[in-house]
Amino acid sequence: MKKMKPITRTVNLIIIISLVLGLGLTITYFSYNQNTELLATSQNNLHQQSDILYQSVKNAMLPGNAPVAVTLFNDIRDINPAYEIMLFRSNGVEAFSDNSTIETVNNNITNKVFDHRPASADSVMNISGNKAFNQTVAMRKTSSFQEKKEDETFFTIYKPLLNLPKCAVCHGSDHTVRGVIKISSNITPIVQRQEINTLIAGTFFIFLVLILTAFLTQFFKKKILQPVKHIGAVCTSVTGGDFNRRVEISNNDEIGVLGETVNTMVRGLYERFQLSKFVSSSTIDSLNSKKDGVKESITLFFSDIRSFTAYSEKKTPEEVVVNLNKILAFQTRIIHENGGDVDKYVGDEIVAIFSGKDKEINACRSALIIQKELNEKSTEIYDGLTVGIGINTGEVILGMIGSEERADFTVIGDHVNYASRLCDAAKPGEVIISQSVYENLDGKGIEVSKPYKIKVKGKEKFHKVYLLSPLKDGDL
Amino acid sequence: MKKNILIVISAAVLFSMVSCSHKKETAASLVPEDYSGWTITADNLNYPIPGHENHFRRVLINPKGQEVSVIKKEGKDYYAYPKGTIVIKEIYPTLNPKEGTKPVSLTVMIKDPENPQSRDGWIWVVKDLKKNTEKIIDYEFCYDCHTNANEPHQYGDGNPDGEFRDYLFFPYRKTASGNRQQSSDNRSY
Repeated sequence: MKKMKPITRTVNLIIIISLVLGLGLTITYFSYNQNTELLATSQNNLHQQSDILYQSVKNAMLPGNAPVAVTLFNDIRDINPAYEIMLFRSNGVEAFSDNSTIETVNNNITNKVFDHRPASADSVMNISGNKAFNQTVAMRKTSSFQEKKEDETFFTIYKPLLNLPKCAVCHGSDHTVRGVIKISSNITPIVQRQEINTLIAGTFFIFLVLILTAFLTQFFKKKILQPVKHIGAVCTSVTGGDFNRRVEISNNDEIGVLGETVNTMVRGLYERFQLSKFVSSSTIDSLNSKKDGVKESITLFFSDIRSFTAYSEKKTPEEVVVNLNKILAFQTRIIHENGGDVDKYVGDEIVAIFSGKDKEINACRSALIIQKELNEKSTEIYDGLTVGIGINTGEVILGMIGSEERADFTVIGDHVNYASRLCDAAKPGEVIISQSVYENLDGKGIEVSKPYKIKVKGKEKFHKVYLLSPLKDGDL
Repeated sequence: MKKNILIVISAAVLFSMVSCSHKKETAASLVPEDYSGWTITADNLNYPIPGHENHFRRVLINPKGQEVSVIKKEGKDYYAYPKGTIVIKEIYPTLNPKEGTKPVSLTVMIKDPENPQSRDGWIWVVKDLKKNTEKIIDYEFCYDCHTNANEPHQYGDGNPDGEFRDYLFFPYRKTASGNRQQSSDNRSY
């Protein structure tokens, strides 16, 4: 039998894996989407702000209103201190910090001259070494990135201010990018919100997995595993010969039906078990094998009570049945103990068959034990009844004989008749064996009387037969 | 065996990721190989401009583009180039290239309003002739500059009437005789 692997462990593992994968993927998907959306909303907002700034700067610069752009930057910063808004020239120097642009414009135009402005008192910022800034100028494309400074996270956009044809009138046509707008926002609250979302999702995930695992495990245990175990226990009991146990499942589902089926099966097995007391094992084997008929060499054992008709006339029916059953049961037990199989009872006669390598010695041993017991205890136990026994070995036909309604697995053939005739010829206490049986007893400790020649009913010729010598104390 | 399958799957995933990351590199060529027979709409552009800086330029338009329709609306001309119009601007290595010098790149406008990467009906492509690569510029750069073509500007004829020229600084025009009239550059500076 293979080593059993408990299904409980497998079922629990499947439940946990399914929940972790299913819930994990679902919660991760929604949590990820929510966090992405949260960040994207903030970033899109900043991109829109940068677009507005771009258009504002472009339109303010066109009529030469640079101070308007400066004021706009300052106003937006005042309204939303979380924003850092700067405008840099394409060389990285903070715009409006000196008069170099004014000088360039004055050189390019002829009809208007811009006045110099006072130099900025503040320190001038220069980001010419900034990688994102340089990339924006080189690629002429908006770039954005997220960076962490100490405990705070910032989202920054660098947007190039293009030197459009209408701008080139004042600013010249020798460069493509006039400057870069930098807009940066502190998105620490959003990042924190993302972290909280992730934490909540993780906690929710663990909580759900634990709760559902406990629930599903208990459900499967109660509804499936325990009933299956119970059914297994009943089957084990039946295997051990206990036909009284029944499956007790109240489930109104497949498991309940299975339990009912097992109960029906156990009842059937019990009935078959009981039936085996009345039907020879060869009949049961035949039913199992479904063979129509086979030819086989077996040893036939016939035992018949002597003077039974006279005995039954002298006794009451109850006494006849009691003592007949007693002597038949005794003989049956001896035959079974020696490997034989009772084929049938015909009135007071037993027909038994022995198969296998030692069939002759087993049949003779059964006969001698029976005769010894009856010789010693017939009067005391069996009301004085005695038997004559005939044994013959030969090839016979075994098969299911009868009709579909009623049939017996039995033996037929000339050797069967011959064994019966030997039984008829045996006197009370005698065991007559045929020549074929004798030939297989050589050297096996069974003593016989020298051959006799007898003529049996239905046979023209005389046949050699032998009488088994009774057992002495200590034999066998 | 399992290891091999894992390697194959990983390679496929990696390939997909790399492919996706380069989605703006167009797979099929958008720019025709041979455009030499097309009509030139602007030549001898040998002055620096933002976007192309110090590079000589020449502009050509395909036959489809010559089917441009021009309608009058509120006293102004409105140009509408049909779908399939292709305008190629050849970019040369210097401002004054020697005769026989080949362009180094092409900046191309293709009228394809259904294309999701189009802006106001045009898709804007840069073709590197050395690397033979094409890239769709779906951000502001080309579009913003060419928006100025629809209002008075300082290049070509300067669009003094503020015609809507469908983003072309040098629009295709037919004369009364049906011959093309090449734009002249009358820059004021």
